[in-house]
Amino acid sequence: MSFISSQDRRTLIVIFITLLIVCQMVAYVATTPRPREQFFQLYVLGAKHMAADYYPNNDTDIRLREPVTWYLGVTDNMGSVQLVSIRVKIGNQTIKPPDDQEALESPAPVVTQFMRFIQDNETWETPFAWSISDAVSSGNGTHILTLQINNETYQIQDCSASSGRNFRIIFELWTWQTDANAFEFGWTAGGEHRVAWLQVWFNMTSPRLA
Amino acid sequence: MQFLNTRAGILFEVSQRLFVQTRVLGLRIAYSSVLQWRHALGRYRYMVCNRDYLNESELPRIQSKLAIIAVLALLAAIAIGPLAVRSQTVGTLEPRFGQTLVKLHQSETAGATSSEVAELVALLNKALELDGEAVKLNAPDQTQKRADLRAQVDQMLTTVENRAAELTVVASQRSYTNKVLTYVGGAIAAVLGTIAYVSIVAFYQKYRVKRTFQMRVTRK
Repeated sequence: MSFISSQDRRTLIVIFITLLIVCQMVAYVATTPRPREQFFQLYVLGAKHMAADYYPNNDTDIRLREPVTWYLGVTDNMGSVQLVSIRVKIGNQTIKPPDDQEALESPAPVVTQFMRFIQDNETWETPFAWSISDAVSSGNGTHILTLQINNETYQIQDCSASSGRNFRIIFELWTWQTDANAFEFGWTAGGEHRVAWLQVWFNMTSPRLA
Repeated sequence: MQFLNTRAGILFEVSQRLFVQTRVLGLRIAYSSVLQWRHALGRYRYMVCNRDYLNESELPRIQSKLAIIAVLALLAAIAIGPLAVRSQTVGTLEPRFGQTLVKLHQSETAGATSSEVAELVALLNKALELDGEAVKLNAPDQTQKRADLRAQVDQMLTTVENRAAELTVVASQRSYTNKVLTYVGGAIAAVLGTIAYVSIVAFYQKYRVKRTFQMRVTRK
C-alpha cells in the first residue's frame, strides 16, 4: 500500500525534473566561460606618464643628443598569454604609414623591437628613452644617421626629410601567431584581422653640417 | 633573417608557398564550378523559353564529383581565413618560444589559473631577455658566452614546457572535478528543492487541518 497517491507522485516527479533542469542549466552557465571581445591596446605616454609632454619644453623640434622620454604600453585582452613585439620604425612625411584596411605594415625601416610575453588582462609598459645622436644636413635635406634608444645606438639608413621637418617614429604591434609560427602585424580575433599602431611626429632642424 | 637560411626556414617558406598555392587552386576550382553552373542554367533557361518540354539528355547536369570538390575547396578556402595577412619571421627568435607558447595555451585551456601561469610567463620573459643578450654578442671572442646563454635559454624553455605539461594535467583534472561537482550539486539542489516542496505542502495541509478543527461554529 502506498502512502502517497499516484497524482501526488506525478506532481513530485514533474517538480523534481523541472528543478533538475533549472539547476543543471545554472551549472552549465557557471562552468562555461563566456565569450568576450578579444583585443590589444597599444599606447604611448609622455615623460610624465600622461598623454601630454611628448617633447622637451613642448617644442616639437628635437635637437641633437636632446633626451626624450616616452612610455610604451600594451594591454592583452585576448584571453590567453600572448607573445607581442612592438616594432619601432622611423620615417618621414612621404613614407606610407601602416594600412589598417589591408593590415599591412609600414615600409619604413625597423630601428628596433621590444618583445614580451603578456598574460591575459596584463599591461606591459616599458620606457622608451631616445635621442638623435647624429644627424647631418646635406643640400635641402636632413639625414638622421644614428638614434640612441634606451642607451643603445642604432644606425639609421635612408631617413631624411626636407629642412628636417616632419620626421615620425612609428610603433607597430606585432603578435606571435602559433599556427603560422611567426610574428604577424596585428592579431586575429573572431575571424577578423586587426592592427594597432601609433606614430609621433617631430622635427630635426639643427643637424651638424656635412 | 638568419632563420630563413636554415633548413627549418626553407621548409617553412616552402610550406607557406604551398599553403597559398592550395588556397588559390581551391578558389579557382570553386570559380570554374560556378561558371559551369551558370552555363548549365543558361542552357536550361534557353530550353524553357523556346520549347514546351525538355529531353532527359537536355536537362541541366553538373558533374557531381567536380561539384563536390568545388564545395570542399570553397569550404577549405573559407575556413583558412583572410589572404591579406602577411607573415614575417624574426631571425633571432627561436621557434621554440612559439612551441612553449602553445604548451602554455594548452594549460590555460585546461583551466590553469592566472597565478599558476604567471610563474611560467616570468620564466619565459627571463628567457627572452637572455636570448636578446645572446643576440648582441657578435664578437668572435664572445662565441662561448653566446653558446652558454643559448644553452641557458634552452634549459629555461624546457623547464617551462615541462611545468606547463604538468600544469595542464593538474588543471584539467581540477576542472573536470569542479565540473562534476557543480553538476552533482545541481542534482542535489533539485532533490533538496523537491524535499522542501513536499515539506511545505505537508506543513500547509497540516496547518489547514488544524485550522479546520479550530474553527468555531457560530449561529447566525
